[in-house]
Amino acid sequence: MKKRQMFLRMITASLMRRRSRMLVALLSIAIGATILSGLVTIYYDVPRQMGAQFRSYGANMIFVPADTAFTEQDVRQGAAVIQAADLVGIAPYRYENVRINGIPVVAAGTDMQGAQAASPYWHVDGAWPAKDGELMVGAKVAESFRLKVGGEIELSYTPETRTQEELKTVQDQTCTYQITGILDTGGSEEEYVYMSLPDLAKLTVDDGKVDVAELSVSGGAEQLEKYIEQINAAVPAVTARTVKRVTASETTVLTKLQALVLLVTIVVLALTMICVATTMTAVVAERRREIGLRKAIGASDKSIVGEFLGENLLLGLLGGIIGSLLGFIFAQQVSIHVFSSSISFRLWIVPVTILVSIAVTGLASLLPIRSATEVDPALVLKGE
Amino acid sequence: MFLRMIRGTLLRQWKKMLMIAFTIALGASLASAMLSVMLDVEDKVNQELKTYGANITVVPKAASVLNELYEVEGGEASGAYLAEGELGKIKTIFWAFNIVDYAPFVNVNAALDDGSTVKTVGSWFNHHMELPTGEQLDAGITSLRSWWEIVQGAWLDEQKEGDDADVCMIGTALAKKLGKSAGDTLHLTGSESDRSLRIVGIYDAGGDEDDQIYAPLNTVQALDGLDGKIDSIEVSALTTPDNELAEKAAKDPGSLTVSQYETWYCTAYASAICWQIQEVITDSVASPVRQVADSEGAILEKTKLLMILITILSLIGAALGICNLVTASVMERSSEIGLMKAIGAQNGAVSGLVLTEICMTAVIGGVVGFFAGFGFAQIIGHTVFGSSITMRPVVIPIVAILVILVTLAGSIPAIRMLLRLRPAEVLHGGR
Repeated sequence: MKKRQMFLRMITASLMRRRSRMLVALLSIAIGATILSGLVTIYYDVPRQMGAQFRSYGANMIFVPADTAFTEQDVRQGAAVIQAADLVGIAPYRYENVRINGIPVVAAGTDMQGAQAASPYWHVDGAWPAKDGELMVGAKVAESFRLKVGGEIELSYTPETRTQEELKTVQDQTCTYQITGILDTGGSEEEYVYMSLPDLAKLTVDDGKVDVAELSVSGGAEQLEKYIEQINAAVPAVTARTVKRVTASETTVLTKLQALVLLVTIVVLALTMICVATTMTAVVAERRREIGLRKAIGASDKSIVGEFLGENLLLGLLGGIIGSLLGFIFAQQVSIHVFSSSISFRLWIVPVTILVSIAVTGLASLLPIRSATEVDPALVLKGE
Repeated sequence: MFLRMIRGTLLRQWKKMLMIAFTIALGASLASAMLSVMLDVEDKVNQELKTYGANITVVPKAASVLNELYEVEGGEASGAYLAEGELGKIKTIFWAFNIVDYAPFVNVNAALDDGSTVKTVGSWFNHHMELPTGEQLDAGITSLRSWWEIVQGAWLDEQKEGDDADVCMIGTALAKKLGKSAGDTLHLTGSESDRSLRIVGIYDAGGDEDDQIYAPLNTVQALDGLDGKIDSIEVSALTTPDNELAEKAAKDPGSLTVSQYETWYCTAYASAICWQIQEVITDSVASPVRQVADSEGAILEKTKLLMILITILSLIGAALGICNLVTASVMERSSEIGLMKAIGAQNGAVSGLVLTEICMTAVIGGVVGFFAGFGFAQIIGHTVFGSSITMRPVVIPIVAILVILVTLAGSIPAIRMLLRLRPAEVLHGGR
């Protein structure tokens, strides 16, 4: 008991008395620990955060009818299999041939909010349709019919089931809509007219059927395959497929990005840890005189090594705690600035950071202490 | 005398000095490696994002308005085409260097022997071009459709087969429907001629292409007598993310002032490259594919920002690390400084001596570290991207200034603190 008290007193006294020097050592350990915990946190969060960025490429999964047709109900049922947090957006589409001034155009009915989330790259001049009776037209449709935002158009629809006889006598169903926006994507979407599903049902036939659904799901290729298996098993009316172009390319690029962050982390960590080690070595080497003096008044090598180690391990512990806190703050700042979302806190990084800091400080101080204890105290004290 | 003292310190205390130089070298290598990687990361990631395929499509002016609308009705395509002979010009525009890959497309509805029609697409697979500039380029859909999975056989290669060879690739869905496998032949009848094509490979594209036939450009042109005509061109170009200027220009380049126009024209915005392509290809409309072009911009920006922040962290780490060690090593020399003061040295002389010693060590360490860091950057470049990182001259002054500043910042406070001490106390060992 007494011995332990003495040990503690010596360590704390030494830390207190040599404040400035110990502060230097502590600072250096804390920097190392900050970089360690910060970078490791970022490394583990990069796939998730970057994956979310890749959702700007739009849908990576589509639902097509397993048979000939399916309903919006089936689509929602299929989407329910996917965890809510992973589902970025879902947009069911129903396509019908309609006419503007007698010229055929494809009208697509969809859930506007879902389409906006699933295809973030859609560029709308004006606004997305929000109310009944509003629609947006593709840029090419707008160009060929000279349509402007704010204008009105009349769409007409001829049911496919009509016989030749009826075609002559029965009037087409028509509705007038207000154009709220012009869609610019650089793809085939520019040739369509977009409106809400209920609006399209009003113009055509209300049978609740949809042709295809686009889903934007966050998660790697493996996760997607798992979801697809589950959906195909759970909802027989739906066949889910990945959009290979998006998923395959995402895997390639994301793997490279993660490898980049991993290598950078390794290089930075290795160099920083060596830096911490040399600083610790310098701080301990300075105390050769003290070691010599203690040996001269009869301290055993073991007790000297134990005491110095204890002191440095305490520093390592303190530095590790400060570092893991600062590291998390850094990672959080990075996440907010780069990805504008907060980072997920991983508890295991804290003990790992503390253990690594203790190990590095311990190893770095052990060598100079050893070499100091091996020297004849008389020589050390003389200053040679 | 000054020189002799410095030489003396360096020779006698070489072990300590070596350690300082080593730490400074580590810090400098960290700084130079991270700066090199950071400055190059945009180019590298941009290259990687090319796996998403073309980001610009070029179609004939007439077709862009009407053709595709009428096609909905199943009518014949209207007669506007681009000229195959002008394809080489794409590589002569201002941003020719940024054009990574491109391929022309011609679509024909060909009849199979059982009477059904199949969409047959003619394109380049691995087309070799001798450019007017003397450069050589291999372009085609082998790289523009990198996500296609070859289920059977191999990619068609017209460099091996010849430009209008009777070969083709077909999609998995079609192969299943027809019961064909690689090596079989397929008889196609177009409006002008008919041909028997050998199936070189079967691909799985995960989309509409799975029901189509892909064959060399000239082969498909011959089917419908469309010699020298193409329907569209897909271009994959390295672009700069759009900003306000680019958006304004994309709407109407005429609305820009002369200097704005020049800035826009001489920046690799997707809209500027489109504009330049329209200038060289007669009667064409080039437009960015938003799905690819916009997403690329977003991801590039995020990656760059991430790397900048990591670089800043490691620069701070390197700076504090060096600073710390220098402080520690100066403090260690308290008795030496005390002794010098005791025998009458001026404060200025003492600080000059210590600073010169440390700075010399720093320069040596910094130079070694810079090259080591460049080596680390190359390791990262080769492991991750399979290509080397460009050496940027701007890294040298940044690292040099960083090392010098940090060394001075680390040693001056320590020296000042030691100078304030009374020599007798120091020598006595009171501190």
